[in-house]
Amino acid sequence: APAIARAEKTYNWKMTNAYGPGSPFYVTGPGSPADFARMVREMSGGRLNIQQFAAGELIPALEGFDAVSKGTVEMNIGNAYFWAGKTFAAQYFTTVPFGLNFQGMTSWLYHGGGQKLWEELYAPFDLVPMSVGNTGIQMTGWFRKPINTVDDLKGLKMRIAGLAGKVYATLGVDVKLLPGGEIFPALERGVIDAAEFVGPYQDRRLGLQKAAKYYYTTGWHEPENVTELIVNRKAWESLPADLQAIVRAAASACTIISQSWCEATNAEALNDLVTNQGVIAQPLPDALVDKLAEATSQVLSDAVAKDPMVKKVHDSYFNFKATHDKWSGISEAVYQNQLRNRLKLT
Amino acid sequence: MGALLTLAGVLDRVVERVGRASAWTNFVLVVVMASNVLLRYAFNTGAVWAQELEWHLMSPIILLGMSYAIQQEGHVRVDFIFARFPHGVKASIEIVTHLLVLAMAVILVLLSIGYVGQSFAVGEGSPDPGGLPFRWVLKAFIPLGFALLAIQSSAAALRAMVSLATGTPLQAEIAPHGQEEAI
Amino acid sequence: MSNEILAILCLVSFFVLLTAGIPVALTLAVTGFFFGYLGFGDTLFQLLPARIFGVTGNYTMIAIPLFVFMGMMLEKSRVAEELMDVIGHLSGNLRGGMGVGIIVVGVLMGATTGIVGATVVTLGLLTLPALLRRGYDPKLACGAICASGSLGQIIPPSLVLILLGDILGQSVGTLFAAAMLPGLLLAGIYILYILMIGWLQPHRAPTVPLEERDALARKDLWIKVLKVGLPPIGLIVAVLGSIIGGIAAPTEAASMGALGSILVAAISRRFSLKVLRDTVLATAKTTAGMFFILICSQVFSLAFRGLQGEQLVHDLFELVPGGINADIWFMMLIIFVLGFFIEWIEISYIAVPLFLPILQNAGVDLVWVAVLIALNLQSSFLTPPFGWSLFFLRGVAPKSVATTDIYRGVIPFIFLQGVSLMLVFFYPKVATWLPKAIGW
Ligand code: NA
Ligand code: NA
Repeated sequence: APAIARAEKTYNWKMTNAYGPGSPFYVTGPGSPADFARMVREMSGGRLNIQQFAAGELIPALEGFDAVSKGTVEMNIGNAYFWAGKTFAAQYFTTVPFGLNFQGMTSWLYHGGGQKLWEELYAPFDLVPMSVGNTGIQMTGWFRKPINTVDDLKGLKMRIAGLAGKVYATLGVDVKLLPGGEIFPALERGVIDAAEFVGPYQDRRLGLQKAAKYYYTTGWHEPENVTELIVNRKAWESLPADLQAIVRAAASACTIISQSWCEATNAEALNDLVTNQGVIAQPLPDALVDKLAEATSQVLSDAVAKDPMVKKVHDSYFNFKATHDKWSGISEAVYQNQLRNRLKLT
Repeated sequence: MGALLTLAGVLDRVVERVGRASAWTNFVLVVVMASNVLLRYAFNTGAVWAQELEWHLMSPIILLGMSYAIQQEGHVRVDFIFARFPHGVKASIEIVTHLLVLAMAVILVLLSIGYVGQSFAVGEGSPDPGGLPFRWVLKAFIPLGFALLAIQSSAAALRAMVSLATGTPLQAEIAPHGQEEAI
Repeated sequence: MSNEILAILCLVSFFVLLTAGIPVALTLAVTGFFFGYLGFGDTLFQLLPARIFGVTGNYTMIAIPLFVFMGMMLEKSRVAEELMDVIGHLSGNLRGGMGVGIIVVGVLMGATTGIVGATVVTLGLLTLPALLRRGYDPKLACGAICASGSLGQIIPPSLVLILLGDILGQSVGTLFAAAMLPGLLLAGIYILYILMIGWLQPHRAPTVPLEERDALARKDLWIKVLKVGLPPIGLIVAVLGSIIGGIAAPTEAASMGALGSILVAAISRRFSLKVLRDTVLATAKTTAGMFFILICSQVFSLAFRGLQGEQLVHDLFELVPGGINADIWFMMLIIFVLGFFIEWIEISYIAVPLFLPILQNAGVDLVWVAVLIALNLQSSFLTPPFGWSLFFLRGVAPKSVATTDIYRGVIPFIFLQGVSLMLVFFYPKVATWLPKAIGW
């Protein structure tokens, strides 16, 4: 029988991004959305062309959800917790305070039912979500003065948003919302006493080490952070199976490439900050972390009580975590405590 | 003519009342933002919703105020050629201008109703726990503001038509987006 | 028709309609809708509500109504209306002294805000009537006010530098420090120019007549200086002091200025419900009128983006001969030319990311480039037909000032901005020295 020529239809798609032009990791660089678009183009032999628009180029930063839901734009890059005001359970698909780390989160998403729940949550919005990047663990942030006790948090003016802000507020922190560009001048002049941003590499880019010297590293509030790709469902279903597979493959490739890129660049940046720029990097005191955990537990159970979908996602997430914790406790934790520092190369 | 002017008068009064009332939002903004700053500085305290209120107030200031601004001061234009046109040409340009603004206002009302609907359907609020609820109300100022603009440009078009027919001066000739009082 | 041709037609029609006297806002919307529809149909216009919400929900823009409120309160309560007269008396025989005063006040206000419109409005309200009364050439007065007002975008804090920091991946603090000296340099150049005009063309920048100066006793002059000088200086201290003193973040500091203006009026016993009502009404008109143009410009920007206007710039770039200096000059030319049509935010988003990879590959100091761009972007406020400073001043200038006076008045100042750009290009240390010296 004669071979049937497949219709080689070309798809030209738009992909908006919640982050500004030039942002490493979030927009450009290894494993970034720009890299994702390149991979898809190359793997598909140019049949799926994705043009990226950074925040402000086509639409403002946080407008991608509605635009993709409506189908005006085919794809958007952002973080699911940006949409917590539309559906609170979205929070669980970015990060949860005291929740899973990168290994746990990717395991839950890919093999623990997380991905399915995510799709279920977004189905009413006509969106197909997937992970397309991960920052790994983030840092507590920059403090102008050392934090020794829980009392040091009382009245502390801190730039922090979202769920973690709510937790801090219950411990007496004065939560301040500020756009990225004003964090530095505000911290430098003492308008705020502390600021959370991302991790060593991104924080150094803002110059935060010049405004505050105490760098707390306990990433309780964001033990990992998923970069989210959302695709309009109609557009997604219009793609032939091979292109869908290519999108999924490129997205998971970028998840691992971006996360490993963060590991590498954060290692370099932290070393530079501590050795060359006089930064004092240290974990938060244990007693304080206990208080934060208590407050987080309360904030989460309040949210669960309000919405059955939140409860469904919450239960899946924490049931998976309970099992995974036992495994990582005898594998990863043992590696960190018993093995990592052992070998002295001669 | 008289009937047209009466109708224009009624439409203008709606725009003016809303504009004058919403203008006080500017004062509210001063009070809210200054209190947020001073409370934080003096007592290390502040609420997320109060900080969100700062930029929320911008919507009524801008969207309810814009028709009032155009009504009172006219459109901003580069007038060095326009000013030399004879009255008939000016009046005709004015009529077309206001009708086009009316069309634009209607298009934007239609475009934005769906956008507000998306927000209303999910009961959208702030993504920040402790932030303000009812974000669709905030978004609803967009169609509301452009509906007001439609009212304002209808009134202005009517007045320009009367001016073309009767030869009375245009608003653009009386107050070309400047202050009424002479120096 | 190809999208690139539509993008060019879009720019040309905009220019023609605007010059013919069609309102700015309508011109932006009509050309955007028309050429956008021809190029990509109606799909992308679905994004307009999101863009409008982005304008009304932009946190840093809150400073605009607050600073306009401050300027209007000073004007309506008449506590600073004699400011220019006093500066004129103080300058004595120095021709152009009041003009220099405008630049100095512009520098001080620029240090309190990154919002050009607010400075132009305040300067226009407080100084223009007095200058005209004193027989200043309206062109010189208007040009000086527009140019002085745009200094706020180069002297920190500055919205331009915050956005450029984001796009170029540089620390905002470093950029603030780097722009300090170039900003002062530019102010110095303006001052020299005004003094030169006063020297060469005395009739354009007259002094306060000798008899009038003699008539005012020395003691009375100093009392006047205190009375009319203290309120605006007090407000500048309130705003700047609240930033430096760690009380308020840059945008929030504007609220200290607005609150301060109420206090100043109250202390001078000029505050009343009527003054407050006049102030909020005037603030509403100026602020909302300006934002209306900004909202309509969303249609134009969206169309230009949808027609791949950035591709147009990219293709032009292919024509440039090799060498990083040629690339930088070409970028400067593109930014300058775009400044005639669109506003600085869009220019930054269109032109800068395009050149960024080339600049990075060549290993150019991006802090220096950011300062060059910021200096260049100032011209976009002044170049007709689409220039924010021009619109703002037109909005508050007395009727007797012709629009042509404003448009022609800014031309020499655009030229002077070019001079400062050259100086920073050939002497990069002007920009790069301070950040290193203070360790930012
Ligand atoms: Na400034
Ligand atoms: Na311009």
